Amino acid sequence: MTAVPATPAVLVRDGALPLLTVESVDVTLGRGWRANQVLSGVDLGIWPGEIVGLVGETGSGKTTLARTVVGLVSPGQGRVVLDGLPISALRRGARRAERRRGHVQLVFQDPLRSLDPDLTVAEIVAEGLRIRGEADREEIRRRVISALAQVGLDAAVLERTPGQISGGQRQRVSIARALAVEPRLLICDEPVSALDASSRNHVLRLLRELRDALGLPIVIISHDLSSLAGIADRIVVLYRGRIVEDGPLDRVFATPRHPYTALLMASAPSVRDDRPFSPHQLRRAGPGPAQQDGPEACVFAARCPFAADVCATQPPLADVGERWRAACHRHQEWEGLATRPS
Amino acid sequence: MAIDNRKPWPDLVGAERHEGGADEVLRLDDLHVSVHNGAATAVRGVSLRVRPGEIVGLVGESGSGKTLTCRAALGVLPGGCAVERGSVSFAGVDVTSLSRRGWERLHGSHLGAVFQDPASYLNPALTVGGQLAEVLRVKRRMSRRAAHRRALELFEAVGLRQPERVFHQIPAELSGGMLQRVMIAIAISCDPQLLVADEPTTALDVTIQAEVLELLRQLRDERGLAVLFVSHDLAVITQLCDRIVVFYAGEIVESGPAGQITQRPRHPYTQALLRVASVGDFGRRELEVIAGQPPPVGADITGCRFAARCPVAVPECGAGPVRSVPAGDQHQVRCVHAARAVVAS
Amino acid sequence: MSGRGRLTGRNGSGSVLRLPSAKIAVGVLIAIAFLAAFGSALAPQNPLAINANALFQGPSLHHLLGTDYLGRDVLSRLMAGTRLSVLTAVEAVGIGLVLGAIPGIATVFVGRSFDFAINRVSDALMTLPYIFFAVAVTAALGNGLPQAMIAVGILLAPLFFRVTRAATLEYARAQYVEAAELLGASKLHVIRVHVLRKVLPNIVVTTASMTAAALLAVSFLTFLGIGVQPPTPTWGGVMSSDLDYLSQAPWAPFIPGALIAVTVGALNALADAVRDRAGAGTLVTVDPIIHIDPSLERADGDRQSQAVA
Repeated sequence: MTAVPATPAVLVRDGALPLLTVESVDVTLGRGWRANQVLSGVDLGIWPGEIVGLVGETGSGKTTLARTVVGLVSPGQGRVVLDGLPISALRRGARRAERRRGHVQLVFQDPLRSLDPDLTVAEIVAEGLRIRGEADREEIRRRVISALAQVGLDAAVLERTPGQISGGQRQRVSIARALAVEPRLLICDEPVSALDASSRNHVLRLLRELRDALGLPIVIISHDLSSLAGIADRIVVLYRGRIVEDGPLDRVFATPRHPYTALLMASAPSVRDDRPFSPHQLRRAGPGPAQQDGPEACVFAARCPFAADVCATQPPLADVGERWRAACHRHQEWEGLATRPS
Repeated sequence: MAIDNRKPWPDLVGAERHEGGADEVLRLDDLHVSVHNGAATAVRGVSLRVRPGEIVGLVGESGSGKTLTCRAALGVLPGGCAVERGSVSFAGVDVTSLSRRGWERLHGSHLGAVFQDPASYLNPALTVGGQLAEVLRVKRRMSRRAAHRRALELFEAVGLRQPERVFHQIPAELSGGMLQRVMIAIAISCDPQLLVADEPTTALDVTIQAEVLELLRQLRDERGLAVLFVSHDLAVITQLCDRIVVFYAGEIVESGPAGQITQRPRHPYTQALLRVASVGDFGRRELEVIAGQPPPVGADITGCRFAARCPVAVPECGAGPVRSVPAGDQHQVRCVHAARAVVAS
Repeated sequence: MSGRGRLTGRNGSGSVLRLPSAKIAVGVLIAIAFLAAFGSALAPQNPLAINANALFQGPSLHHLLGTDYLGRDVLSRLMAGTRLSVLTAVEAVGIGLVLGAIPGIATVFVGRSFDFAINRVSDALMTLPYIFFAVAVTAALGNGLPQAMIAVGILLAPLFFRVTRAATLEYARAQYVEAAELLGASKLHVIRVHVLRKVLPNIVVTTASMTAAALLAVSFLTFLGIGVQPPTPTWGGVMSSDLDYLSQAPWAPFIPGALIAVTVGALNALADAVRDRAGAGTLVTVDPIIHIDPSLERADGDRQSQAVA
């Protein structure tokens, strides 16, 4: 899958083009014998005003995808296009200039590491504006306070350093820093993973409010599927560097088309007993035939209890419904197989 | 699933026996633990029991005292912390003031432990199989060959495929889930009666977490292993445990069978936790929050420690210490409203 | 603990000056600095005044530290000599600092080949023995202490370079630097806002230690007679001439020796105090992660603080 499609049909919705497209991106990290292909053939579009949940476990490449979109990592193949401008091709001065415009912002996973411990909250949130060359101190202060208010923080924290505020507040400062430059797309890398359930919901609610108030599209990266249930419109599931399912959240959760998505849902701990499947039904008991393990085979085949001969070739990410794609040869049959008593 | 009384009991100098202790693996009685060299009391009046073959879950936010409680049960309180009052008993024997050597004899053969980050509990330079075999040689005095064989059996028992291959790998070559299985293998290697697990799956992927939880269930079913499971994640606790103990600000606010706690929670905090927690519900729902913050560790509060955040608090809540009262079969609640209901009936 | 906080007390860590060893050290150094500035003027006697009648006298009211082999007042000579000894040591350190620290920070941000080249230059300089290098430079530039100290300064530069570079590497990798880059920050902005204040403690520590080393180098060079003409007083020079007349005045060399030792000791004590406060060795181990205020540890029910604290 190395050819770049002209305008993938899937990337046009109701006639509207997406704000951001990731076009057939391959990313390899490391060099020589340590080289590791972290993303393969990723095709994704983000439309204005939607909240997209990007889900994956360790090794899925979700953080790398976020870093590739913002340009901290360069794709080996493919490109990232923002509103018609291929931002992944920019270098040096042009890239800096584009970044100063602040169109795409990334909120890092760990605010302990992404906030400078020596700066005050005011300095941290204002950094983007200063870099832009905004000189008027009053204006800067006004916008910093406004950004903090948007995340529910009082001006009282302005002169505190990150070590003097709580974890949830740090996370919000991190978001405020991104908001201060008025981005057109916000990517949050595991924004709530380190927080307790209540704080988690606080922050998720905040993100939803931001989308509602500003029409700001937000990509939330998470390993926890159920926390996205209350907030995301769309869910994208990554497995070992490939998108395996991408569709409207309600429909995907009702009837997942890819066995891995179903496995994620079945594995999530639950108090209710109303699951359609148990993880057992979605796991493979032992290793399968060799050709299903080859580099050409479906990336999930080695773990998939429904893998058949056809799965020796990587399935394309194909339409399975309205605005819904899944990469599975057997997406119509596996469910029937799973419910059969073994 | 009674305790194996034929196992040689470690020589516990100065330890006393309790009455009727034989059907309890672990018993904590009115445990108080202080931190920062006595500056604050982080655990107040905690009493709980674990029976053979039972999986008991301790749930609460960070700072609620659940971790300190389980460390007290293991005899590994961090520096500056000490048991101020109350007792810890293991199979009827009081081990609160057990000596270092006494604990060493208990660890492994009667008590096993698994923690959150397995990599930091394993020597990065040695093979995992070698480390497991070493435990067997030291504690069970097995020969090298016998230890090797037993290690492979244990690896198989915890679900590691290709145990012979895993035996010769170092921790860096194994994934988090596999390392945690290795830790479990080491923990159960000498057939303990109780496994204490402190957030063992928090750092694992959700699919691997499901497998590890299933493994713990399986070990309980096959070996009669009792498990004390600590987590902040209510969903995991409800998934796995037979009984749930809810901690708040150093106290137990509610405890009872898992079904009761999740279907008929009586304490406002438990009710709030259930509303807030992602209990695997994939339907669209409102994101709930609990207003306010828990009190600082060891704070001096008269009356109910949850009153400040409680939606149904009344003046009586702040009057004095709140007793724990029964609220059903083996179900206890520490709440003024529940106490009133008991009085009324 | 974070950079600036360690020195100034911001970020809740307390100023380095709270330590008693640091207080004493700073006191000593202030006295020495005072002498360096005003020593000649404040000397009770003329340091060059020869008095044939008062040779090798022990301490007395008139000559607090006695007189030397030419009857000159030892105290006055030492006070006057402070300026030359101390200033040239400072000059050497200054040269080393500028030539070392600036490339140290720069190489982390500039291209590979530049980095490689500077590193090799630094390696080469570290192999040279300073005495011979000083002799060579004074032979080329003329025999004067300032010239000799240029040589010492050049040879101190690699040490500054190494320490600064190691520290900068650590901080340049931090996630908040990445965050700044995502906002379009130029490398200069990153250095100015994020890196400089964190590297400063390392530079201060190294400066203090290197000043001590430079002072010893000055003393040794002047002891050997390099770079200075008699009768100009310097600490090392005084000690050298004292050694020639050991039989007549066995106590004499101890005085300048003690002066050198005390100053060097104070500098090292100050360096240690700053280093201890920073929690780092001469190579950086400073963790750019935030130090959590323990009283807030449980404020938000978050597990991040639990992991760090």
